[in-house]
Amino acid sequence: MTDTTSGTGRHGLSPMTKIEVVVRGEDVPAVEEVFGATGVRGFTGVTGVSGLGHDGYHQGRLLFNDQAVLTLLLTVVPDERADTLIDALRALFEERSGVMFVSGVGVSRPEYFR
Amino acid sequence: MSLVAPTLGSDPGDDMAASARLVTLVRRAAAVLPTTWPLETFIAVNPLAGFEDLPFEDGGLAAADIFGAAPTLDEATFRQLYATGTIDDGALRVAVRDAVGTATGTVVGSRADGMPVTLGDLVMADLLHGQVPAPGPVEAQTLAARSDRLLGTELVRSVDDEASWWVATVVGGGSGQWDTPDLHLGLYRSWRAAAGVDHRLPRAVRRLVTAAPDDPRRAVLVGLDRCADDTEAGAFLQHHLVALPGWASLLRHRGTDALVDYLALRITLERALVTAAGVLDQVTAVPAPPVSDRPGSVGSRLADALAEVGATEDDLTPEGRLLVVGALDRVPVERRRFVWLDAHERGYRSALLDGLGRTEPAPRPAPRHAAVFCIDPRSEGLRRHLESDGGIATFGFAGFFAVAMSYQDVAGGEASPQCPVLVEPRVLLGERPSDGAVEGVARDLRGRRVAAGARDGFHEAKDDLVGPYALADAGGWVAGPLAVARTLAAGTYGRVRAAAGRALVPGAATQTVPEVSLTLEEQVLLARVFLTSTGLHRAGARLVLVCGHGSTTENNPYRSSLDCGACGGHRGAPNARVAAGVLNRDEVRQALAERGIDVGDDTWFVAGEHDTATDEVRLLDQHLVPPSHRADLDDLQLRLGTAGRGLVVERAGAFPGNAPGSGRGRTVAAVRRRSVDWAQVLPEWGLAGNAAFVVAPRSLTEGVDLGRRVFLHSYDPGADSGGDALETILTAPMVVAQWINCQYYFSSVAPDVFGAGTKVVHNVTAGSAGVVAGAGGDLRIGLPWQSVAWGGQLVHEPLRLLTVVEAPLARIDAVIERNQVLRRLFGNGWVALAARGGPDDTWHERRRDGSWRTWDGTDLQEAT
Repeated sequence: MTDTTSGTGRHGLSPMTKIEVVVRGEDVPAVEEVFGATGVRGFTGVTGVSGLGHDGYHQGRLLFNDQAVLTLLLTVVPDERADTLIDALRALFEERSGVMFVSGVGVSRPEYFR
Repeated sequence: MSLVAPTLGSDPGDDMAASARLVTLVRRAAAVLPTTWPLETFIAVNPLAGFEDLPFEDGGLAAADIFGAAPTLDEATFRQLYATGTIDDGALRVAVRDAVGTATGTVVGSRADGMPVTLGDLVMADLLHGQVPAPGPVEAQTLAARSDRLLGTELVRSVDDEASWWVATVVGGGSGQWDTPDLHLGLYRSWRAAAGVDHRLPRAVRRLVTAAPDDPRRAVLVGLDRCADDTEAGAFLQHHLVALPGWASLLRHRGTDALVDYLALRITLERALVTAAGVLDQVTAVPAPPVSDRPGSVGSRLADALAEVGATEDDLTPEGRLLVVGALDRVPVERRRFVWLDAHERGYRSALLDGLGRTEPAPRPAPRHAAVFCIDPRSEGLRRHLESDGGIATFGFAGFFAVAMSYQDVAGGEASPQCPVLVEPRVLLGERPSDGAVEGVARDLRGRRVAAGARDGFHEAKDDLVGPYALADAGGWVAGPLAVARTLAAGTYGRVRAAAGRALVPGAATQTVPEVSLTLEEQVLLARVFLTSTGLHRAGARLVLVCGHGSTTENNPYRSSLDCGACGGHRGAPNARVAAGVLNRDEVRQALAERGIDVGDDTWFVAGEHDTATDEVRLLDQHLVPPSHRADLDDLQLRLGTAGRGLVVERAGAFPGNAPGSGRGRTVAAVRRRSVDWAQVLPEWGLAGNAAFVVAPRSLTEGVDLGRRVFLHSYDPGADSGGDALETILTAPMVVAQWINCQYYFSSVAPDVFGAGTKVVHNVTAGSAGVVAGAGGDLRIGLPWQSVAWGGQLVHEPLRLLTVVEAPLARIDAVIERNQVLRRLFGNGWVALAARGGPDDTWHERRRDGSWRTWDGTDLQEAT
């Protein structure tokens, strides 16, 4: 049976690790620097994400404050580099608010992520 | 986990791990650094922004431990304010009640003469007479600091001097025309190259520096090799960063790599100095000092308080003793100052709220003019004077007027971000010659180039190695007398120079063209936000002034701090021009009408700029005003002139050394002369005194003299049932107001750490990134002493911001509950909130837990 959690083997996709973090706008540069230091080749950012967290609701749209709204940053890295990135992000979140989700994914063009 | 494990260079995986961990460590260590901006775009910010996740008190005390900076005025000053009546007894008793959380009127015993002793008596005695321990020194745990303390060396100074000089040199791109080699290599590498051959350093130090890693990241990691774990490594890095908080905070703006570069210099030099002195093992073996015991035990405080009220421990009932001990324990010595701060604030706030909405506006016909000003407290004075003769209605809105743009003037050059730093500019907008003015603008630009060329040539000659000698010969005969004229006859010199400027640059007609960069939809959104937030379109005025502000001062590195914070520390004229341009467009008016916003057909918007140093208002783009509104324009101009002079006279009393009774004309001239006097350290008081932010219709504040201490944002609660406008106001303009408030607050209570010191000894350094006091040292951050005080006396009263809102409490709660930034600011006590639903309601205070109580606290058990 095909492994649907990581994508391994499905349609010949290559297994990799997807890391999603949700942070305040003002902390986005810190996450980007950690991405840069760990050789992340690219990421996707979604600004103004809303939702309910452990400390209450987060408004997704503010007319004139880009820093206070949350941003979702999503990247995919080869499994062998995932632990390094996860360790660094966990250390970053020890004193700053933010959440991280790690999951297995399959990608069709692995060379983009190495 | 230790940093020792992943080191650079062993294999690529380890390289990455070490780099990532270093980025994280440095980021976290730097989080405590004061927030600051380069001087060219001085933005008032909360220097303790890194602590806003904590309650104000905890953040203040944490910063005190790190920087040795007081979080409030000291207790002796508060007691003096109480003695002189500035802090009144009632306010102090309410603050005590809030702090101890128990009815302070509770009787806890009785004296030998039968008089009852209450809980409040004893806590008050402790506040008023309890011993105040001297603050302990902050003991840096760098190797150099340990060596200095243990062995009497002077290595801290060596490291700090070297680091300061090199950062100033590299940030400034070299010192004038003097040759500084290898700057392109970056801070660490250029320093290392120079230090290796610097014969001021001992040979052993030079050898060690030369042998240090070339890569700054590796150099920092080597310096961390004696740290047991990441906690210790982070603390070590933080001690280095806070040693010179000014430079470190400036470098933080440039990213973590810049901080790593800086840390590499400091750590490598320090290690080389300590190693060369043969004391490395000694200083690294010193254990970290234990957390010092907070002075002032509850027992000794209780004994002192009892003695003050003429009682003894035997006079207390057992239950009473428990209550008192519990109360004193809730207010430990180091936190007593916050009770004082609460009382200090409560006095001002109660008086403010008491005065609001009391004046019944006289019924009058629709005003001929309306004017919208920035929320800046300095606008309050001008608005009050303008309104005093009737015929004009005023409004408040953040001075970028909803135009979040980068702006490029007609001369081209680099565009400046004209919006709060909370937002990224959404669009690039420019200025163009108006019809038929192309030739005139070209002539103006030639004139500007001539003036700039002469000025730059003079300064370059001054900075050159041999140029000053030639300059003295060639130009000294005119420069000397000119300097005398600028000093002794500043007003005349200013007028002559302005006339010369007009001759060179007559000022051909230009205009902004928002429709080139903004879609119609964007223009309509801008107009809608602006109009619905203020309700200004319902004023029914023929002429509406959209008035930005700026401050004209001479020889003032801090001029940007006096310009518009909502415009990113720039003058506000471009935003006023764009906003007025959008609002005058037929297509925009039509689209607004389709959305139910009717701007009268005979309404014209004209831009202006309030010069806060002189209180003159310059009307802009007058050539665009249609003939039908010329008479209105002339009338408005007259009113602005009268109001401006009235405000100048009002402000004159606040300047030190102002001769009273010298006549209105002379008073106006004397205040305005400050604006052009190059020797003047106090051109205006800026936002000194700011203490509140009112979000309400003008009817709440009209006719009340708020003393230029209050940010005023217009708000029409009846047109905002969903709370969208309120949300925008609280999450953007209020946040900017809080930054400004905290900047003034901490520059006042901790002027040595978070203030820039006296202007008299300032030297601009590192290009124009900041100032140092005298010849060098740390970059000074915050506001100069002359922005908050005169002589030894504070002029700014350091109070945290009170936000006052007129809107249903449930709406306010809903807005706060969906915005973390507001939950943080209100919930942690960085900003206080008072509100009422409407004119017939009483004022309520929102407590940190989100509950409301009436302002006078009558819904709590009151037993003082």
